Amino acid sequence: MEEKERPVVEMEHITKIFPGVVALDDVSFELRKGEVMALLGENGAGKSTLVKILSGVYTKDEGTIKIDGVDVGDVTPQSARKHGIAIIHQELNMCRHLSVAENIFLGRELSKHGILSSKEMEKEAERILSSLKIDISPSTIVGDLPVSKQQMVEIAKALSTNARILIMDEPTSALSDKEINELFRIIRDLKEHGHSIIYISHRLEELKHIVDRVTIMRDGHFITRADFSSLSMDQIISYMVGREIKEKFPHVETPVGETVFSVKNLNAGKMVRNVSFDVRKGEILGIAGLMGAGRTETTRAIFGVDPKEGGNIHLDGKEIVIRRPKDAIKAGVVLVPEDRKKDGLCTKLSIRENIALPNLDMLSDKASVIHSRKEHKMVGDAISSLSVKLSSAEANAASLSGGNQQKIVVGKWLARRSRVVIFDEPTRGIDVAAKVEIYNLMNRLKENGIAVVFVSSELPEILGMADRIAVMCDGEIKGFLQRGEATQEKIMALATQFEKKIVEVEL
Amino acid sequence: MNGNVKNNPLKKVLQIRGMGQVLTVTVGLIILCIVFGIINPTFFSFRNINNLLRQIAPILLIGIGQSYVLITGNIDLSIGSVVGMSTMISATLMTHGMNPWLSVIITLICCIAVGLANGLLVAGCKLPPFIATLGTMTIARGIAQIANGNYNTDSIGAAAEGFRNFFYYGRFLGIFSTVWIAIVLWVIFNFILSRTRTGRHIYAVGSNPDAAKLSGVSILGTTTKVYVVASICSCIVGLTQCASAGMGAMDAGNSYELYAVAASVIGGVSTLGGQGILLGTVIGAAIWGVLQNGLQFAGAPVAIRNIVIGVIVVLSVLLDVVVRGGKKIKIQKNK
Repeated sequence: MEEKERPVVEMEHITKIFPGVVALDDVSFELRKGEVMALLGENGAGKSTLVKILSGVYTKDEGTIKIDGVDVGDVTPQSARKHGIAIIHQELNMCRHLSVAENIFLGRELSKHGILSSKEMEKEAERILSSLKIDISPSTIVGDLPVSKQQMVEIAKALSTNARILIMDEPTSALSDKEINELFRIIRDLKEHGHSIIYISHRLEELKHIVDRVTIMRDGHFITRADFSSLSMDQIISYMVGREIKEKFPHVETPVGETVFSVKNLNAGKMVRNVSFDVRKGEILGIAGLMGAGRTETTRAIFGVDPKEGGNIHLDGKEIVIRRPKDAIKAGVVLVPEDRKKDGLCTKLSIRENIALPNLDMLSDKASVIHSRKEHKMVGDAISSLSVKLSSAEANAASLSGGNQQKIVVGKWLARRSRVVIFDEPTRGIDVAAKVEIYNLMNRLKENGIAVVFVSSELPEILGMADRIAVMCDGEIKGFLQRGEATQEKIMALATQFEKKIVEVEL
Repeated sequence: MNGNVKNNPLKKVLQIRGMGQVLTVTVGLIILCIVFGIINPTFFSFRNINNLLRQIAPILLIGIGQSYVLITGNIDLSIGSVVGMSTMISATLMTHGMNPWLSVIITLICCIAVGLANGLLVAGCKLPPFIATLGTMTIARGIAQIANGNYNTDSIGAAAEGFRNFFYYGRFLGIFSTVWIAIVLWVIFNFILSRTRTGRHIYAVGSNPDAAKLSGVSILGTTTKVYVVASICSCIVGLTQCASAGMGAMDAGNSYELYAVAASVIGGVSTLGGQGILLGTVIGAAIWGVLQNGLQFAGAPVAIRNIVIGVIVVLSVLLDVVVRGGKKIKIQKNK
């Protein structure tokens, strides 16, 4: 028992500041030998930053890290490996075309006189896999394995480097119930052999099967640490949310009119299941949820980027068919995508060309020749109405700051008489002043009778701006909340209503 | 705010995307011409310049086609084989007594079919463009060979005199007709690329296909269009070669796809897509032609010509990488 209580990792007063953001503020964390510690918090609470500091991806600005009671100073990826710390990544980091054994020994291949000792590596891989009671042949190509098995290979890889502190980031999100049981069996096995595990997950329901203690973080602060058995689910949620709302949100009240846009029983893959909602004239519909809840997938399916499997979309009472983004734009439904670098901007083109791109049909004549004067006028109007700071509209879109880039992505759509504007995480990674401008813009659209759909992971922002909130989890809308009744706790309770994947009798 | 820019025509020209690189290589071209002129004063004779222009014209035409494809971020390796296919199909039809103009139309249709196939394979079936057009390149060369039963054709005969004059020997204002064809097509394709929706879509697809798609641009349509343009340009070059030789040669247009890449990249068209203007392709093709012609005049053997041109291609792209590489670092610092 003595031995079991001994902390292997002690992080104290850890502070990490990124330009403009305090990601961690005086956070402490403790992990004991042979325990599973759940690290909980909302998106952006600082969980990832904390484990990245422990694994050497980031360096801390302040604080101390002790491993086995010894202050180790700054951790680098190399020293993390030496101390036996390994991360099992959410996105698996493996070479899909190589075999299991080759992946396990990647970068530290065994060789004799410069020739790979494939047999020995396979034997060693076999030994590790069987010690975990994992039934995979070391010569299998990793890409041929299902995700769950790939994850186990990754665990085996970590163990082969003598890791004794394993960090698992949302390990169950891609697994089926059977696979989760298998994973939990391995985790219990590891625990018995004295390994310590940091377990990050939003699936609170699952924690009871494996977790010993929890550490809860919020807004970069340490909130509490306790035995899991001493907390109720409601207590955990209230510790996780209770986020201080510092910003003032420029919400405006507008009389709500008839339904402008309605989506009925939309289905598109696993992440969009039977999604139905209405947006009325003069309201902003917020869509809240945790990462991976299916919000972005929903917007992409509506906009025709990803194929739909079923469902109807009505605009102003009439059914519209959207097969491609072009159909949506023609009908008056537009999307400000989540990832502006990847989906929003052509960074090699000028600001002018970016703003004009979706509107070329309005700017050109029958022979599709672009009217340069019309184009300059539209671009000038868009830039001044969004107060974008730029040297010239001919500058590369890549030369702008994040906030101004986002305004350009929004500005692309303002010139059209759109009926529905869908914003997917429009304020991610931009400064406060730019955020407020985006909020004001949403209000302006709403006042002009345009239906606004606002997807965001930031609860304060959704609570501050939306008139009605739909909460998604596991690809489904779990409930709607009116502006007056919505609280962070209520949203979080809906957002964590995962399907129960674990059968209770299993223990 | 930018009224200052509008009032200054020089600045306005400089603001055109990619103009910087074009001006740099134009200076290079002028220097080359002066050097060759000093080595051999007849370089500047009307006769030589006229011949030089006729040498540049086919390179410019295939360069236009390849530039279109490169700006979408793809590549077309089938250009040279389509030139050969065009030569052989048109010559075979004419030797069998078909009306030259009807032959031209049939040839054009065949070549466009290759362009359509390229576009569908690359954007529809999502094949890597290098592989897809490597396949159509081999097929098109095979068609060129099979057209006349694996032989070069006989003379296309006296009936094709009008055809030969139209595509090669005729003159207008003292300039050969091939040059006029290249000029007319350049003006048309430059207009499409710089002033129409299709042109803008081409740049957008090359710069960021995801963002272009989300802005309502059809990736399949745009990609197919550029491959069709490339096949039309190749077809015209094949016809000029048929007109020039008065017969069809199976290996016509060999390696032209790579000459086309060279003309494009010397002129500042990025092989990564999204960047380049057709004015640059003109300069690129001209540098190519001047080097060939000038080195020949200076008495350099073919081997030396190849080496010099190879070095120029690498240097011009290297220059581009160095310049753009420097810019990239700057942007990262700004963040």
